[in-house]
Amino acid sequence: MIPTLGHVAVVVGLAATVFAAAAFVLGGRRDDGALVMLGRRAMYAAFALAAVASAAMVVSLLAHDFSVQYVVRNNATTTPLFYSVISLWAALEGSILFWTLLATGWAALVLWRFRDRLPALMPWVGAVLALATAFFFAVMIWPGDPFVRSTPIAAQGSGPNALLQNHPFMGLHPPLLYLGYTGMAIPFAFGMAALVTRRTDEAWLGVVRRWTLVPWIFLTAGIVAGAWWSYEVLGWGGYWAWDPVENAALLPWLTATAFIHSSMVAERRGTLRVWTHALVIATFVLTLVGTFLTRSGVVQSVHSFTASGIGPWFAGAILVTLGVALGLLVWRLPALGDTRPPGRAVSREGAFLFNNVLFLGVTFAVLFGTLYPVVRQLMNGEQVSLGAPWFNQVNAPIFVALLFLMGVGPALPWGGAGWRTLRDRFAAPVIAGSLLLLLGWLFGLRQLPVLVALWMAAFVVVIMGEEVLRGAAARARARDEARLLATWRLATRNRRRYGGYLVHAGIAVMAVAVAVSASMGSEATATIRPGESMTLGPYTVTSRQLVTEPLASDPRVVETRAELTLAGPQSGPVAPALRDYPNSASLIATPAVRTAAGEDLYITLMGADPATGEVTLRVFINPLVAWIWIGGGIVALGAVFAAWPDRRRSQPATQGSAEPAGVPLGVVGGAER
Amino acid sequence: MTASRPISAPVPPRRRWGLLLGVGLVAAVIAWLAFGGIGNALVYYLTPTELLARDNPVGQTVRLGGLVKEGSIQRSTSAITFVLTDGTTDVTVVSDTLPTSSFREGSGAVVEGELNGDGSFVAHQVLVKHDENYVAPSQGAVPSHIPDGG
Repeated sequence: MIPTLGHVAVVVGLAATVFAAAAFVLGGRRDDGALVMLGRRAMYAAFALAAVASAAMVVSLLAHDFSVQYVVRNNATTTPLFYSVISLWAALEGSILFWTLLATGWAALVLWRFRDRLPALMPWVGAVLALATAFFFAVMIWPGDPFVRSTPIAAQGSGPNALLQNHPFMGLHPPLLYLGYTGMAIPFAFGMAALVTRRTDEAWLGVVRRWTLVPWIFLTAGIVAGAWWSYEVLGWGGYWAWDPVENAALLPWLTATAFIHSSMVAERRGTLRVWTHALVIATFVLTLVGTFLTRSGVVQSVHSFTASGIGPWFAGAILVTLGVALGLLVWRLPALGDTRPPGRAVSREGAFLFNNVLFLGVTFAVLFGTLYPVVRQLMNGEQVSLGAPWFNQVNAPIFVALLFLMGVGPALPWGGAGWRTLRDRFAAPVIAGSLLLLLGWLFGLRQLPVLVALWMAAFVVVIMGEEVLRGAAARARARDEARLLATWRLATRNRRRYGGYLVHAGIAVMAVAVAVSASMGSEATATIRPGESMTLGPYTVTSRQLVTEPLASDPRVVETRAELTLAGPQSGPVAPALRDYPNSASLIATPAVRTAAGEDLYITLMGADPATGEVTLRVFINPLVAWIWIGGGIVALGAVFAAWPDRRRSQPATQGSAEPAGVPLGVVGGAER
Repeated sequence: MTASRPISAPVPPRRRWGLLLGVGLVAAVIAWLAFGGIGNALVYYLTPTELLARDNPVGQTVRLGGLVKEGSIQRSTSAITFVLTDGTTDVTVVSDTLPTSSFREGSGAVVEGELNGDGSFVAHQVLVKHDENYVAPSQGAVPSHIPDGG
């Protein structure tokens, strides 16, 4: 009954979205507000229907309704409540359902927020969003039906994918990532609408920048949370392996980040407009490519689901989207002429341009590395892979260059800088970076990545700090405000700039943490009996006993646990384990991770001999890893600050030109209001 | 919204060459980084038969996939030894860094490492495909990219 309801909701959802698309297109062409309103309501209905279908699936999972094949494959009567609920996104069909829920949710939110604004643009925005969501409803009716029945009704299901029910973080990073992924349809829809209606002026950019930033926050948080999940769960001591699915999430993030930067140039200087449109298209297409890669069985990875029939559907959708979008872009090229020639290399817009080239470089390298094995196999049947070392070797220098630009960009004036300006702006940051580097060297740091990251971080932070202090001082003088209040007002009056600085500061923190954790960690492997100890650095790990018992939360899962005592800078009992899930071919590692500000101690149980109580342990000291997550938090916070609606939006003429050029912040006091 | 007013003077067109040159240079460096090291970075995925059929199999880092032969796992305190087979060819795999517990006899496994002069395969990493519908890699299966230390 309930699964039937879910299925019916999906079918009606397809009808609603197709109807909405038709109403939007007709309404847009005839300039008929009533039709557009109908389309909008149909999209609200589509969201409600997706919610009904998702609720039907969650109820089926909670009720362990084994008449549904998806429940049989991803649930068992012993599955804990929490993992039953999040099984909604644990496998292919359910994840598409969840995806549709979020995509229709975004669409409904945008259409509602803009119900009285941009009347020329919105019908086409609605049409694109309706078509995109219609595709997902269609996928759920034909190749990826989540409500397929299982006959005969099974008595017991196999339970969720072992790896996915091993850590509560599984409830966190997929929804964040999906929110980011699905939200990237919004800038795409606005971009398409701007092209269709020839309203390619800067108006759409202001809207799209904000509506790219919002999904960007989720995508960023999702990627960082995913890395964290992988660190806490997979047991190999690291957090990023250039796995195809990690790459799939990174690709649209890279192009969206490039867009957020290039849109500022397009808005301010009237250049890079075709480029900016192309980035919006690329971001959306890359979300489809990511789904295709991870949901079709084309590439194999920790996240890839069983090969299914949805591959051709997504391949088709990618080709159609790419064809239509690029066709439209080329058709409208005459309307997209840059109003000014690009500036000089050494200028703010030059820095933005190089930033974009570098982001595209990383995008290209990651896409190439992910697809190369697939293409190679298609061509001559050889199976090869490009490992993490290749990705690191290619991308590390590009990321260093990006870090450098992160400092340079905000310090350079628009239009171009003379030698004098350069010297004034860069003397202090360069000296600060070099001092920190020297200090690091004196304290015995010799790892090149660490030294480079330290220099870059100091360079970036000092440049931004100088800007903030100078601006706050100017405002405090002009307005006779207390310094702290002036700083806050300065920042909240120009959220994009200062939110962006906070994002950059977070990236600088992450860069140092990644460089240090990647090149200064240590590890040891040893086999010890109860009562024996092993040491790594200042830590001593003593084995107390080996315990093998079923999990209290799910008795079908047998846990082999090494109960250890840790002594050193961090101390106390720790218990890494191996879990034997009935539906998993291999044992699932459950590492013990002790996190602290300075370094993490990470212990994985490699093997155990129940007869003698011997355990084989692999112990890692991972310095500064916690700062990767903290840096990620700062990035998200900065982006939220930048995207926060500001009250001045009612005076759109000031947006975009409120930022004084040339002499940043010197005239801030006068530019307000 | 009006287009923002340019505040500095328009830039003479000839200045674009510096920008183009810079962009081209950056693109060239990225291409060089990507393709320069690709030959050494490629890791082949092979079955035992394919591995032994190679011209010079010793010492090359490859991924070896097959079934763990029934009754072949020998665990000692410091190392694990087992036989990986594709039905026609057997290769003995030795490792002192692999988790001893993640192998089950009769199930599929993919390991990364290199062939020794004595014909045994020294594995450094085990790659497990984490899928509820696990299929042992026979000919043609691709391993996961996640190195799994436990």
